[in-house]
Amino acid sequence: MTRNGLRKGHARRGWSIIVLLLVFTLVAAACSDDDEPSETTASTAAGSTETTTTAASGAEVSNPGVLVHAADDEPTSLDPAQVEAGEGGETVIFQVYERLLEIGESGPDPVPSLATEVPTLENALISADSLTYTFPIREGVVFHDGTPLTADDVKYSWDRVMTMDLPEGQAGTLSDTIAATRVVDDFTFEVTLQGVNASFLNAVVPSMVSSIVSQDAVEANGGVVAGEPNEFMTTDMVGTGAYKFNVWNRNENLQMEINQDYWGTPANLDLRIEIGSDPDIRVLGLRAGDFDTIETDPSFIGDIEGAEGVTISSEGLTVEPIHIAFNMNAPVDELPGTDTIPADFFLDPKVRQAFNYAFDYEAFLAGALGGFGDFNPHYIPIGIFGYDPSAPVYGQQDVARAEELFRETGWWDEGFSVSVITEEANLFEIAALVLKDSLETLNPNFEVNVLAVAEAQFDEAHASDPVPYAMWVKNADPFADPHPYLSSYAHPDGEWGEIHGFRQAYQDPDQVAALIDAGSVELDVTRRAEIYAEVQALLFDDPMWLIAAQEGSVVAYRSWVQGFTNNPLWPRPSLKFALMDKG
Amino acid sequence: MVDVADTPAVAVAADSAWRVRLGRFRELGVSIFSNPTTVAGLILIVLMLSIAAFAPLITEPNTPDPYQMPRDWSAISVPPGSPGHPLGTTNVGGDVFYGIVWGARTSLRLSVIVVSITVVVGVTIGSIAGFRGGRVDEVLMRIVDVFLSIPELIFALAIAAVLGPSFRNIVLALAVVFWVKYARIMRAQVIHVKENEYVDAARVIGDSKLRIYFKDVLPNSITPVITQATLDMGNIVLVGATLAFIGLAEAGLAEWGILVSEGQAGISAGRWWASTFPGLMVFLWALAFNLFGDGLRDVLDPRTETSR
Amino acid sequence: MQIRAYITRRLLVLPLLIVGTSIIVFTLTRVGGSPIGIYLSHEMSPDEVAELEARYHLDDPLPVQYYYWASGVVRGDLGWSGVAAAPVTEVFAQKLAATMELAVSAAIVAVILGISLGTFAGARRDRLPDHVTRIFAISGAAMPLFWFAILLLIVFWVYLGWFPIGRSDPDVWASISHPTGLYTVDSLLNLNFVAFRDALWHLFLPAMALGYGATAIIARMMRSSLVEEEQEDYVDAARAKGLPERLVLRRHARRNALIPTVTVIGLSFGFLLQGSVVAEIIFRWPGLGRWMADAVLRGDQATIMAYVMFTAILFLLVNLAVDVIYAYLDRRVVLGK
Repeated sequence: MTRNGLRKGHARRGWSIIVLLLVFTLVAAACSDDDEPSETTASTAAGSTETTTTAASGAEVSNPGVLVHAADDEPTSLDPAQVEAGEGGETVIFQVYERLLEIGESGPDPVPSLATEVPTLENALISADSLTYTFPIREGVVFHDGTPLTADDVKYSWDRVMTMDLPEGQAGTLSDTIAATRVVDDFTFEVTLQGVNASFLNAVVPSMVSSIVSQDAVEANGGVVAGEPNEFMTTDMVGTGAYKFNVWNRNENLQMEINQDYWGTPANLDLRIEIGSDPDIRVLGLRAGDFDTIETDPSFIGDIEGAEGVTISSEGLTVEPIHIAFNMNAPVDELPGTDTIPADFFLDPKVRQAFNYAFDYEAFLAGALGGFGDFNPHYIPIGIFGYDPSAPVYGQQDVARAEELFRETGWWDEGFSVSVITEEANLFEIAALVLKDSLETLNPNFEVNVLAVAEAQFDEAHASDPVPYAMWVKNADPFADPHPYLSSYAHPDGEWGEIHGFRQAYQDPDQVAALIDAGSVELDVTRRAEIYAEVQALLFDDPMWLIAAQEGSVVAYRSWVQGFTNNPLWPRPSLKFALMDKG
Repeated sequence: MVDVADTPAVAVAADSAWRVRLGRFRELGVSIFSNPTTVAGLILIVLMLSIAAFAPLITEPNTPDPYQMPRDWSAISVPPGSPGHPLGTTNVGGDVFYGIVWGARTSLRLSVIVVSITVVVGVTIGSIAGFRGGRVDEVLMRIVDVFLSIPELIFALAIAAVLGPSFRNIVLALAVVFWVKYARIMRAQVIHVKENEYVDAARVIGDSKLRIYFKDVLPNSITPVITQATLDMGNIVLVGATLAFIGLAEAGLAEWGILVSEGQAGISAGRWWASTFPGLMVFLWALAFNLFGDGLRDVLDPRTETSR
Repeated sequence: MQIRAYITRRLLVLPLLIVGTSIIVFTLTRVGGSPIGIYLSHEMSPDEVAELEARYHLDDPLPVQYYYWASGVVRGDLGWSGVAAAPVTEVFAQKLAATMELAVSAAIVAVILGISLGTFAGARRDRLPDHVTRIFAISGAAMPLFWFAILLLIVFWVYLGWFPIGRSDPDVWASISHPTGLYTVDSLLNLNFVAFRDALWHLFLPAMALGYGATAIIARMMRSSLVEEEQEDYVDAARAKGLPERLVLRRHARRNALIPTVTVIGLSFGFLLQGSVVAEIIFRWPGLGRWMADAVLRGDQATIMAYVMFTAILFLLVNLAVDVIYAYLDRRVVLGK
């Protein structure tokens, strides 16, 4: 064979490879359209009215018998004693475990669940001194492993949270309010509080940390060890709820099945929670019919609106307002080098008011939230008891007022530079950018540096005391009662009050403290509301935060889903899947 | 006794190696310009550098920091051709056209700073290793080997991740990763030249080591370094944009990689412009320097293996 | 004999390099960033943070921490991944399979296409196909993978809808058993051709995107080395000696043309490894690269450490293999400079 001949051989091979590839691509083109509906195929153009979703248009239900929900984030733990407030694990715990009382469907009031009655002074289940609560336990309830529920399990569940006292969990919710737990008899459970507490039944009892677990199951699998997580409970669940835990395939999905022996109305469908998909993939999956419900960012609503067979639920508001902090305790010498503010910068209420007036709320609402959201007064979110619709709110940018205030304080001419730290690539970063643009457009002497860092770095800074930054962006933790909000975010000696130095900053800290304390022990509903109305008016003039917005609760779902109920007081996505059906 | 200084060989050696090089430049210029792909690269380079240089004239610089994207919150994700936004906007209202233009400036800053640092550090270390030889050489080369054992992007990724998202940290990360190539090149060159005749001759005359280095060794070793530096001007921006794409640059910076990643989520809904245009710029920039650098290598060091 | 000494020397140095690399990267992850950050929840008190730091040995001096890490590795415990919320080792194997499938597919594409293109161009030196190949090759080196991948997505996924995104259709995936963790292999073992097709369809775009750069490099190298070999004296000399053409080419020209190509194939491996990070992000491929990207963004030091060490070791081994093959093929190379 000549040299040329061999070369021709190579060339022939080269050509045939290329031809093969072309054929493959053409075959792919031909074959792709007879695909079954799949989350992974899509051919859509933005804004076009024709949607070529491969799912049959509304007639046929995909995945019959299973409700498929595409979640935002993955749980880190399924253990009520370990789960963090507001993270993915709470959603699962909400479906599989139960509590003595739950927030009702039309809530905010708690309704009986594993307890048969809500304790009140009238039915004498709350003692005369309001310190002891008695819960009659429902009989005939059976755990998923077949063992019966008794008051022992209740005491065990709560005690174990407090004994383990895991830093990543919410043990404080119980240990800060409860003095003692007692089993009166098999079906009566008694709690004694440390002090009169108006938020106990709303905020503590229905909270995920108070879920009732099976004593037998835990004891058989590692028991309770102070300060240490329980491996079994982190990844497995034995509860009493309408759903039985099946399997957790990390980064893929969680599967739950109908609990046939449920004491209440059984669920209609098995449940699969899909995790790990990006927001745009979730939208595509919803349109293709692979997902029945999805958690979605408001910015994707535009892509879903008008799509066939899809409904958007957006009336509710989440109860986690997005806020920007003023840190009065920021150590000036540890601040980023570019910061020029003095230690007392935020002590002046006029400065804080000015920031609140300068922020472009419309831009944030339209830009980041797609218009879904509202603005709540400091510091009770809309939808929580005590929220006063007539309270003054910073929901409108007022450039003139902001300038006036900055001039009065002398900062207008002097200018300043301040850094704000935030997690990167999410809503919080956008809020920080809006703050930056608002202030810098207002006055070129003002400079705001946005430090968008990795979540881990942010969390570390956030957990320090003092926080080494003058401003940071995050959202509030969700609660079902006004007191935890005020205690954490407004009280001069509360959690953030101490770390940020509220006491030095408030014009009249004692007045604020007295009002908040009074509200926490006022059991009369009307008087309690009056107290909180007063607090909201006060905090308007002396704001300790800049509240960027209260995010809208947006869930998109297939129109074939029935029984869709959304209560923002439930853990995100605020859905009780057991109530839903499809067809 | 014949004076050694009078022999012709020494006379040649005494003539500065630089002057020899200079004479060759003219030949070089001709060879370069005769290759169409190299010329194409050069034209692209000039285009890129012009955009970077004239950025403040092409678009109104943003205040207070022109390297921050201007955000128009009332025009989120608008398509190209919208009023005021010829190439559309991103999901936070950033003007894509502005990003293209000022991104060129950012890229120029990045590549010039990183290449300067890496060349100086790499050449110095490589020269020391090559000249000294022995123990010093062994140790330095082991260190170089360790650095080379981790793929570049992944190493830069790890460093930038640890330092935190900012422009300065990307510069640092890239500098730490990219200096080793120069050390290797320089060392090889120094060793090669060390054994060459005219250096021996110079030593015979009695030139100091340093003088030998600057007069003879350096000029003869410099061409592969120049070639590599040219190629790196392109690649630094490529890797830097990739790091920014993954998420390691600061918020709102006018940088091509960030824009591409911001635009990514909108693709499934048909919003292609926020990713496509900035990505194209990265490609053109890298292409420009690769074309030119390639042509340079063909002309200067046809047999030398400079790594990509 | 020289080769054996060379290999032995390289193998002896290998563990030192690995340890050296591990020390550098370990120091990096501990000294920079916030190794504790990933384990924190917001609203933890400083005491609680300290408690967690003690739990993960992060309050000990650096060498002690390194000792804990190293002894953990020896035991097979690579720490806890905050991103995956699971032990690193548990998640690693599964993601490794995904990445390997992608990387190997891309490599196959690159080698076949690259060598074919290179020989094709080399045979038509300085004519149009050669120039086109040259431009293709250079653009391959300059091509930002993230951009090319996005373009492919826009055209073939969004507008044409020919290919899907992700690794598999979850229902099809669930319908077969997974003895190896490699979708293509498993579907064949299950004799399930629907699954096999699903696997290929999902692999196509990412493999093309990832393989593009490597194809370009290999094509380039194959072409230029083939051209060079054509010109070598020994080819004519061998022919003059009367050796049959077949032998001339098999023994000499092709083998010599393959040497630099083998080197380049080894180089492309590093290329593929790095490219997989970006490709996996864009095509939503659940592999190591994507995991690393998440770890990087969220400060998950355990994952970063494991991933970097893994790639470094792999990279070192591949380079060693390439150097050995190179040395074997070309005995004229001076072993050990």
